[in-house]
Amino acid sequence: MARIELNGIQKRWGEAWGVRDVNIDIADEEFIVFLGPSGCGKTTTMRMIAGLEEPTEGEIVMDGETMNDIDPRDRDVAMVFQGYALYPNMTIYENIRFPLRMRGVPRTEHDGLVRRAAGLVEMTDYLDRKPGALSGGQRQRAALARAIVREPQVFLMDEPLSNLDAKLRQAMRVQIKHIQRELRITTVYVTHDQIEAMTLADRIVIMQSGLIQQIGTPDEIYNDPANTFVANFIGSPPMNLVEGEVADGVFTAPGVKVPGLPAGVSGKVTLGVRPEDCHVTDEDIDLTGEVYGVEPTGDLTYLTLQAGEKLFEIKADRTYRAPLGATENVRFDADRIYLFDGESGERLRRE
Amino acid sequence: MASQRRKRGENLFVRYLILGAWALFCLMPVLWFLSIGLRPRVEIITPQPIYWPTFSLDAWHMIWEDWPMAKYLRNSILAIFGSVLIDLVLGIPAAYSLARYEYRGRDDIAFYILSTRMMAPAIVAIPIFFLFRNAGLLDTIWALMLIYAAINLSFVTWIIRSYMLDIPKELEDAARTDGASDMRILWEIIIPAILPGIITASVIAMIFAINEFLFTLLIASTPNAYTMSVALANFTGGSDGVIYNAIALVAFLAFVPVFLVVVAIQKHLSRGLTMGAVKGG
Repeated sequence: MARIELNGIQKRWGEAWGVRDVNIDIADEEFIVFLGPSGCGKTTTMRMIAGLEEPTEGEIVMDGETMNDIDPRDRDVAMVFQGYALYPNMTIYENIRFPLRMRGVPRTEHDGLVRRAAGLVEMTDYLDRKPGALSGGQRQRAALARAIVREPQVFLMDEPLSNLDAKLRQAMRVQIKHIQRELRITTVYVTHDQIEAMTLADRIVIMQSGLIQQIGTPDEIYNDPANTFVANFIGSPPMNLVEGEVADGVFTAPGVKVPGLPAGVSGKVTLGVRPEDCHVTDEDIDLTGEVYGVEPTGDLTYLTLQAGEKLFEIKADRTYRAPLGATENVRFDADRIYLFDGESGERLRRE
Repeated sequence: MASQRRKRGENLFVRYLILGAWALFCLMPVLWFLSIGLRPRVEIITPQPIYWPTFSLDAWHMIWEDWPMAKYLRNSILAIFGSVLIDLVLGIPAAYSLARYEYRGRDDIAFYILSTRMMAPAIVAIPIFFLFRNAGLLDTIWALMLIYAAINLSFVTWIIRSYMLDIPKELEDAARTDGASDMRILWEIIIPAILPGIITASVIAMIFAINEFLFTLLIASTPNAYTMSVALANFTGGSDGVIYNAIALVAFLAFVPVFLVVVAIQKHLSRGLTMGAVKGG
């Protein structure tokens, strides 16, 4: 059980930046997810927590103790890797037992601990197999068992599900969350998959270009994005963002005219609205565009409208149908409209 | 259907015929050697061709009874196995360092190691002779071990390194977070994973060592350190003239163990060689 503080962490390789400035305070037993596109520094940050990389600047503190100069094997962390990283020449049993041997856990306890960990991930039947004889999902469960076997202070998971197919991924996701809650171990989880982040995290850390864009609970991240990057990264389909001008409290862009904005806002502004906060209507209001595509999925229909150059995604009723090229009017939920600075992309908050 | 099957059968027969003929063609020199080794000496040097050779164990008895062939064989085996052992003890850590650690001049060091293989060995023959003389190692198996090891160390290191580069780095990261030290990682994770590469490198080193002649001749001056390869040369000089059947038989005996080992591990051997060639970086 551990609390982790990252204070002003930077990582550079020569001229290349990995991580520019990361400050996070991770609470004990928290499940925290680093989310971002590839190359955003999330994996590097995790590897620094593990001790596999050394920060160029800044301090890593676990339970009040500075960890910068401590070897990975002397940090009480366990890591699960994207490629599973099972030792190919050992059986699953030996794989799971390896950390116990390396950390000098008394021999007599090994068997019980290995079987308990294997039981938690339902791998008891495969203990005498070699990794090569297992499927991807089984390998990942074995890797998970190896991480949990000695109940470390911290779990680090580096995109552990990204090599699995969609169905398996969902099953493993639930399992990981369940195990984490059961063992109550502080967990740092890296992913580029927003669904994984939303479903697993107590708090999400969104990163881009080595900088933290926003830290918050999944609800905060979704409902209160700090800038256009976060707004665009979270949500499926992502938030509609359209650049335009605000004058006298009215936002205008090709095909878009949104009145009733706060008085303080004017000039170049980016307006954001989520697909589920858009409603097809008969009134001549907010957005007028041509039907570009209609995609029924069963429980709802994705409508794509073109207004000017811009395509808008709208979650319409499941019975909604329209011919291509038809003109549609769309109303935005007034209290679900987000405004961002047209230059910096930062959120313009209402006073 | 039936005719098709017969056609396939014919094809198979033709295929085996061609392959068999080719194998025979390739093995011809070896069989020819064996036949020379098992003939009386007179028969080999007659000017008329002899179509039905007489079988004789003259050469066999001669090499074991008139010459200390058993000792030469022992020298060969000790020197070769000793040298391979030295190569592995030095080469595996060197390869690991070159494959995994980052430090200034790493690539230069790797290239330097390889470059020791690029010069003509004769260039260093004389310095090496004085080196071993001053060390008091002339005419000993120890000197042979060292010299064979030195000759082979470069490519043993390179072959093993290329295998190590193929091991995902994640595996070592995993071991490191699991609590393993660098030596434990090398010993428990890396070495088992690259065993085929180690075997390949060892066999190639053995073949080179068995064939080594120049430095052995330089270092060995009495039967104390004569090996099979130098012993062969002994049959060409002396008052008895060139003893062809003994040469052939000894050469054949030196060839057989290598041949058997190569056949046994040829799958690893080809994999190891091509992998080293294609990957490398």
